[in-house]
Amino acid sequence: MFGLHYRLERKAIGLTLGIILVASIGGLVEIAPLFTIHQTVEDAPDMRVYTPLELAGRNVYIREGCYACHSQMVRTLRDEVERYGPYSLAVESKYDHPMLWGSKRTGPDLARIGGKYSDEWHVAHLNNPRDVLSVSVMPAYSWLLKTTLRTDDLGAHLKAQRAVGVPYTDDMIANASKDAYGQAAPDSPYADGVTQRYGKATNVRAFDGKPGELTEMDALVAYLQVLGRLTDAAHKSGANATR
Amino acid sequence: MIGQLTKAERQYALLILLGIGLCGLILGIASKDDPLGIHGALIGIAALAGVFKVISIYYDPEPDDERLTRYYDDPTKFGIILAMIWAVFGLFIGDWVAWLLVKPDFTFDAGWASFGRLRPVHTTSVLFGFGGNALIATSYYVLQRTSRARLPDQLSPWFVLLGYNLFCVLAVTGYMMGITQSKEYAEPEWYADIWLLVVWVVYFAIYLRTLARRKEPHIYVANWYYMAFILVIAILHIVNNLAVPVSFGSAKSYSLFSGVQDAMTEWWYGHNAVAFFLTAGFLGMMYYFVPVRAGRPIYSYRMSIISFWGITFFYMWAGSHHLHYTALPQWVQTLGMTFSLMLLIPSWASAANALLTLNGAWDKVRDDATLRFMMVAAVFYGITTFEGSFLAIRSVNSLSHYTDWTVGHVHAGALGWVAMITFGSIYTIVPWLWKRDRMYSPRLVEVHFWLALAGAVVYVFAMWNSGIIQGLMWRTYNESGTLAYSFVDSLIAMRPYYIARAIGGLLFLIGGIVGAYNIWMTIKTESKVLPESGADAPEPVLGGEAVLQPGE
Amino acid sequence: MDLGHGTLVWFSKSFGLFYLIALSIITAAYAYWPSNKKVFDHAAKSVLRNEDEPWR
Repeated sequence: MFGLHYRLERKAIGLTLGIILVASIGGLVEIAPLFTIHQTVEDAPDMRVYTPLELAGRNVYIREGCYACHSQMVRTLRDEVERYGPYSLAVESKYDHPMLWGSKRTGPDLARIGGKYSDEWHVAHLNNPRDVLSVSVMPAYSWLLKTTLRTDDLGAHLKAQRAVGVPYTDDMIANASKDAYGQAAPDSPYADGVTQRYGKATNVRAFDGKPGELTEMDALVAYLQVLGRLTDAAHKSGANATR
Repeated sequence: MIGQLTKAERQYALLILLGIGLCGLILGIASKDDPLGIHGALIGIAALAGVFKVISIYYDPEPDDERLTRYYDDPTKFGIILAMIWAVFGLFIGDWVAWLLVKPDFTFDAGWASFGRLRPVHTTSVLFGFGGNALIATSYYVLQRTSRARLPDQLSPWFVLLGYNLFCVLAVTGYMMGITQSKEYAEPEWYADIWLLVVWVVYFAIYLRTLARRKEPHIYVANWYYMAFILVIAILHIVNNLAVPVSFGSAKSYSLFSGVQDAMTEWWYGHNAVAFFLTAGFLGMMYYFVPVRAGRPIYSYRMSIISFWGITFFYMWAGSHHLHYTALPQWVQTLGMTFSLMLLIPSWASAANALLTLNGAWDKVRDDATLRFMMVAAVFYGITTFEGSFLAIRSVNSLSHYTDWTVGHVHAGALGWVAMITFGSIYTIVPWLWKRDRMYSPRLVEVHFWLALAGAVVYVFAMWNSGIIQGLMWRTYNESGTLAYSFVDSLIAMRPYYIARAIGGLLFLIGGIVGAYNIWMTIKTESKVLPESGADAPEPVLGGEAVLQPGE
Repeated sequence: MDLGHGTLVWFSKSFGLFYLIALSIITAAYAYWPSNKKVFDHAAKSVLRNEDEPWR
């Protein structure tokens, strides 16, 4: 037996296969079942998808590396629930490709930030955090207000999202660019389509305070304001509900 | 540098470069006004520069067969230089972002200079730029010596080294333009990922082809670690980067996985990038350079085998300890914690093996800063793996997670273990490669050692303090049963530690610059040239069979 | 291949711990098998032979 083992090890290919086999076991056992066990992700019938504007804002969030300093995952610990709100459920990031749970809180957790502050507060804070909070160490994102949001390719973005499993309809994909504009221009003819496709609860307003222009600030604030509000499941679930 | 390419290899090089240039052109055309266009142009320019370089030597006389009696070290030399350039750049950016947390307005009001975009520039530059180049360069060197065989051809090592650096440049420039997948330590987008995969397959092929021609029947253990590094990184890279691009002309892609599955996949990748890039690869370095520098065989070769299989098996389970108390199912968290604790055994076996090898050579450790670099690296490796297992315990993790403690832990590993073992190995290898009798200035090696040690200690202590204070402030209640501190209170408390951290980083950066200068001067200054030693040569091939097939 | 939770639980409950122990015994036995000693001692010293001379 050990003669065989010795010969195997002498052969580079045998060593290669041995490494692959031994190294694969851990990943297989831990990851594969997550896809097949039903309880991994809870059911939440009211869970909605991101609107095109919110998705664009999420992409700005990713582009600027916000996840490096802000987590989006309230752990099941008393102090976290009291500081930030109900602990996060798996279903809440069901449509997050990729997830933005984060690993570091140089700034506070953002999983429950939606609706906590006004749009004006967010715009002023993003424009220069030290105008709002003198000791903040967050970078100023003043160019977001000046940069027009690119919307012509949002249909393609929704399509790619559908390819990885997010249930966007053909209607949503076809109207992606218009919906992005309409969500930040409540008086425009495109605004109605947004609530019609994404639900009555969708925020439709001029997030950056300038109804005529669609800026990256609109998108980012729209995204921040919907964080933790895609479903009510977390507020109703087990320990969170009794609190 | 590339003068040793044969005629056929020069032709293949031109073909490959034209192919790469064409890919760049296609990406550039398809991208329209997407930032991808800039990367298309960058790829095209890189390929064009390569074409000019090859043409400039195209009509030079072909190298004679005498070259086959020597090892092929040109890519190793270039890789060492690249590693030092990345080290200085990456450490500089790291210290820059450290100061940004002290003075957040140092951003010139420009997107590329903000913390969120520069942080991955720092991590990629030091881990992949510095660490990766050092691994590739030393692996070529160790592979040839321990196999007593020359690299299989002269083109593929260059393809891997330069292709890998193209990947790093695409990654780093991409972040500054806002191109990122946002997966930590796997930020580059789909086209860069595909390119890295191609490079990686060729890299492993070099390993197998060289080993196939080795003289020693037994494969030396350093090569086991290097092979585990290459193989497992390939598996991790493929699975974690599965994504659907928005379109062929768009840099943006969406991860195939979402939410909890994506989180588990990401930290399975993230933790094993630590395991197989920053641990296995550098253990390969350690198992070769520590014995060679100390002039003593490894203390227990058998222990090195046991730790090898232990590390390869246990590490792959440990990733879920990054997700304690999250929405990840608890059974996965428990598995991650259990295996993280067991991991301490093979880790400490490796650290002990290195230190016991030095037993009996402590006089050398005292006099030789290069050996001391490696000794301190082994000590830091032991400390960091203990800390890692400790932090993986659920209740400890509830305090430490999301705080600077994690940052301190990572830097104890990166500065104390990875960088120190690399500097030690580089200081060992540079005089040999350039046939010098010693480094330009042993005193500067000494200076570098103390700067690096002081920098690492200041950094790690600052982060331990700030992390634990942060964690405690976040969970402290006052008598009335409400949280005692607001988040802003904890932010204010961090300030002195952020300054101390930036100073520690600065010391380490200065050390890196001193090292780069010393290496540069060693290369530039002709010292007493060692006579060409007949011993350092690959085994001659018997039976007249050509070692190198053209274009192989 | 059905690699679901059920399959894995079945596998781990069928003496999963003993599989791990067996794996470590195989590794340890291989490393300490008396006839392998010569090979390993030879390998450990191999990096010190026929190498570049140290720089001093």
